[in-house]
Amino acid sequence: MQEYLSMLSALLRYNVTLTLLAVAMALPIACACAFGRLSRIRWIAIAMRVYVNTLRSMPLVMVMFWIYMIVPMISGRSLSAYWSALIALTCFEVAYFTEIVRSGVQSISSNQFAAALATGLSRFQAARYVIIPQALQRMLPALLTQSLIAFQDSTISSIIGVPEMLQETTIINAREQAPVHYYALLALTFLVICYGTSRIVRHMESRIGAYPRKS
Amino acid sequence: MVDWSILWQAPNGKTLLEALLLTFQIAAISWVLSLIFGIGVGLLREAPIATLRVVGTVHVEIFRNIPLLVQLFFVYFIFPRILPASAKHVLFDYGWEIVASIITLSLYSSAKIAELVKSGFNTIGAGLRMAAASSGLTWWQSQRHIFLNLLLRTIAPGLASEFVTIFKGSSLAMAVGVAETTYVTRQLGTETFQWLPVNVYASAVYLFCAWGIAGVMLLVEKRIAIPGRIGE
Repeated sequence: MQEYLSMLSALLRYNVTLTLLAVAMALPIACACAFGRLSRIRWIAIAMRVYVNTLRSMPLVMVMFWIYMIVPMISGRSLSAYWSALIALTCFEVAYFTEIVRSGVQSISSNQFAAALATGLSRFQAARYVIIPQALQRMLPALLTQSLIAFQDSTISSIIGVPEMLQETTIINAREQAPVHYYALLALTFLVICYGTSRIVRHMESRIGAYPRKS
Repeated sequence: MVDWSILWQAPNGKTLLEALLLTFQIAAISWVLSLIFGIGVGLLREAPIATLRVVGTVHVEIFRNIPLLVQLFFVYFIFPRILPASAKHVLFDYGWEIVASIITLSLYSSAKIAELVKSGFNTIGAGLRMAAASSGLTWWQSQRHIFLNLLLRTIAPGLASEFVTIFKGSSLAMAVGVAETTYVTRQLGTETFQWLPVNVYASAVYLFCAWGIAGVMLLVEKRIAIPGRIGE
């Protein structure tokens, strides 16, 4: 019981905060990147495409190693494992969110944009007040599903030494020598959280699907 | 001082090559197994018997909702306890950490491939199923002769990205001590402190392979595309 409590506290302190902070930072950046990807200025669009494709083709653990190495080289100070994991997860999710936001934005009719411009809004205002609110609603299920994947991926930070739940379980198991017990509890905890959340997302999806949608 | 030569100096070149081959080996075996499991479970979810459908759904939900790394530790620690002694012997000789990685990657991806299969069936549509049934084919015959072919062609794009995911996922095998590319480059970095060459090499391996897989699958998709479908 004591052990399970310390596993849960590791989950809350590391996995949950990593996920929430990374998602909160990645979303606004991804919105900007998505518009960059759709930009008429070619080099911006190409740069964004390269970023998205590169990050999506690399394992997350590799991204963590890069951040762990590069940031101290630039700033001259060493970076804690937690911060490396957080920055890496954010960079990683920016790439995935960008693609989701881009397809969400593209699903909004271009007439909406033209109409917004016709009312005198600037291009930025049209994006900010007309396109993004509609697109966000449509892509919410995809964003939430991706956030759940980010939550699952937060366990990878154990490889660079963040004392999150998987790491905590390994430590406890080394002491107590009861792998079946502790790893089953670990797996079950994730199963319950992720399954529960995915049910809510699916419910949401069916609700959104019920709205009249422009084909 | 950045010294790129550590990548090909005497023992390192061979070690890295062996690690690369191991990465390929793990990915390739997991691709085949996950495709077989995935299609099997996907068919279970379409089976005419309710119990089988439940089994398929439970499989998908379990393996989709537990992180890959947690599954790996679970399999690594717990499978040997339920295996008979003789099987254990064979597996441990081959390298249990490699086998555990392959089993985990295959099961994890099979759940996602089963989901693809399900959405593939939705794309193909109920009309064809009814047509197959009314022509007198049994459930199994219609799956075998009509749907499997169409299905594979429909889900090919999804399979391509799943293959890339498996390839990337093989890097997590380092956590249980498999000497694949990520693990070996880590070790080399710790020994020599040449982190830049080492990171560049490992990233290049994953990038080029991911792009290679995507490129090949794109060619395959074009070859097998179902004529007349929108988006071709």
